[in-house]
Amino acid sequence: MRTTRFAVLALAALLLGGALWAGGALGQAQRFPALGPLPAVPSPPDNPMSEAKVELGKLLFWDTRLSGDVSTSCATCHDPKLGWGDGGALSRGYPGTEHWRNSQTVLNAAYFSKLFWGGEVTSLESQASAAATGNVAGNGDPIMMEERLRQVPEYVRRFKEVFGVERPTIGMAWMAIAAFERTLVSKAGQVPFDRYARGDQSALGPEARRGLALFQGKAGCIQCHNGPLLSDESYHNLGVQRNPAFENTPLRQITLRYQHVIRGVSETLYRSADRDLGLYYTTKQEADKGKFRTPSLRELRYTAPYMHNGVFGTLEEVIEFYNRGGDDNLNKSPLMRPLGLSEQEKKDLLAFLLSLSSDQPLIVEPPDLPAYAPMKVEARP
Amino acid sequence: MKGFAAFVGLIGIVLSAGAAAGQALAPLPPLEPPKKEQVELGKSLFFDPRLSGDGGVSCDSCHDPATGWGDGKALSTGYPGSEYFRNAQTLLNAAYYKRNYWDGRMAGPDLPTTVRDHLTEAHFMQVDGRLFVERLRQVPEYEEMFQKAFNGEPTFGRTLNAVAAFLKTIVSRNAPIDRYLKGDSAALAAAAREGLTLFQGKAGCIQCHNGALLSDQKFHALGVPGNADVFANPLRHITFRRFFRTLGAPNTENYRGDPGLYGVTKDRADWGKFRTPGLREVSRTAPYMHNGSLATLEDVAAFYDRGGGQRGNKSALLRPLGLTDAEKRALVEFMKSLSGDPVVIERPDLPDYKLRKLGQN
Repeated sequence: MRTTRFAVLALAALLLGGALWAGGALGQAQRFPALGPLPAVPSPPDNPMSEAKVELGKLLFWDTRLSGDVSTSCATCHDPKLGWGDGGALSRGYPGTEHWRNSQTVLNAAYFSKLFWGGEVTSLESQASAAATGNVAGNGDPIMMEERLRQVPEYVRRFKEVFGVERPTIGMAWMAIAAFERTLVSKAGQVPFDRYARGDQSALGPEARRGLALFQGKAGCIQCHNGPLLSDESYHNLGVQRNPAFENTPLRQITLRYQHVIRGVSETLYRSADRDLGLYYTTKQEADKGKFRTPSLRELRYTAPYMHNGVFGTLEEVIEFYNRGGDDNLNKSPLMRPLGLSEQEKKDLLAFLLSLSSDQPLIVEPPDLPAYAPMKVEARP
Repeated sequence: MKGFAAFVGLIGIVLSAGAAAGQALAPLPPLEPPKKEQVELGKSLFFDPRLSGDGGVSCDSCHDPATGWGDGKALSTGYPGSEYFRNAQTLLNAAYYKRNYWDGRMAGPDLPTTVRDHLTEAHFMQVDGRLFVERLRQVPEYEEMFQKAFNGEPTFGRTLNAVAAFLKTIVSRNAPIDRYLKGDSAALAAAAREGLTLFQGKAGCIQCHNGALLSDQKFHALGVPGNADVFANPLRHITFRRFFRTLGAPNTENYRGDPGLYGVTKDRADWGKFRTPGLREVSRTAPYMHNGSLATLEDVAAFYDRGGGQRGNKSALLRPLGLTDAEKRALVEFMKSLSGDPVVIERPDLPDYKLRKLGQN
């Protein structure tokens, strides 16, 4: 079974490698990791998958008690019905605040080695923790959240079953959520492009096939969107225009400045803060200003709007953006250049992009959450 | 009877000790007046929910002028999603204490730090101090008020100082007892005068409730009955357990009652001890005790008359008093004479967020 899968992957890689080389219009003899179906989901050795853990993680994903004022669960900003994002250009954020970046899809997040737009964390486990405790996201206090879990008998039972502990710990909650998220991945059989890559020629129509060639050739998308995930997991500045929300929404302005404060930029930079500096907050390297982690293109059909600040509502807008070589920005990547695509080519590219999404969206219905119950502690008279 | 004699003897000693230490009842000494502009700013901030994590609670949510600057509930509510496990104390005269909170975990003279604790702790207002500063910077009126009050823009520390300045103005004035102590014998009716005598004599209240504040500023275990809701209501129990874990108190899983000062000192002798509250304005600050378990002043008088509660570590000062019904009523009348002119604060209109010019911060 394992060998067969490997063989299929290898075949797909060959096939696509061939397609890649055919796209000579890129004008550079560069080779990029081949497109193809996703491999099996990786899971860290210290957090192995189990059915019970995934089930527990699913409950926790929807549980608002994993936030400060019990208003906000993971699903609040990562709603299955909104492509596992929140559908807004910029994420809604914790009550009393408005977030400053687009809420990314959880779909296939399991394959990334860095998460968030700035790649600030390196595992789903730490992403869950960072989101639940971040002051403009979940604003949860770890010990408070842990004590809440301990006061839910059903959770106590499940944590014991899954982790063998008498009392839930908050770290284990993040592990369970991560395990659940590792099930939220594209299934090759349901993705037209993956079926095509496995040899089903009929899975892509002529437009999408031409789009694939453009993707790897004239349009140059493959330079960053490569490999089974269609992301190089690297950081690039595309010259994405600013989201006007930062000019016309007080709460967004607050969050923008707040981020500059908590990420430790200089006083000068704080005083002039007018945009999201992306990777710079982590590295403090001038060259990293405005760089964001390349997102996957899988399930794109369901995950509008696009870009770190959600400025594009449709894929057509995204294609226009790349076709004009991006917009003005300091530090724009030299990879961004006008593409000179014809109207037909844009349609072809769109058809290919759409073929990277499952035929039907991956929906998980919200579970019924277990209730608090008093602990068996008797207050003395 | 023998016990009673010993008790009377004890009172005599305490009274003379109290007098020797200068802890006689007296009007409150004036505080150093805070800067007017800081008070004005602090008043706005006091009522502003933007000083909480989700913008849902402000200081007055639990310290409402309309309910004696507490929240009128036995146990306080706390941050949304949690319920607190102690009574919200009045802020009237809060600036006079040497230690703050029921368990005295904060230093009194450093009022701004107690304000900070309220803002940032998960069970109260759960806000990030860097976030609310940016919120304040989004309100031009606040920028102006900070300039006037501190010659500078909003900062974390200035915010705390402004609220503390406002708290220094929430002081009880002109209580009948004060007029009486100044020589206006008509200020107390006969029953209240009898109550005063009992307070300082047979009832022994003065042992702990002495000085201008009517608090010895010390900690005592009264054996107050537990408030069952702390353990029966998961939301309170969660807050309770988290709180003692974060204090670094040992063995918190097994607590069956509020350890009080012990949570701070970890000294077994301090189990169940709480800071003596001042009795000024007490008629306006029901319910009573650290867990609000006594609803009325009559309940309080009855509680002391039976020698306090039954819980372990109870102070030796508490013994049955043998008060008659009339004496208990007199005590209550005296306690009512400790309330002065109501401290009325008009709720300020809070200024809205406005847009700033992007990039000019």
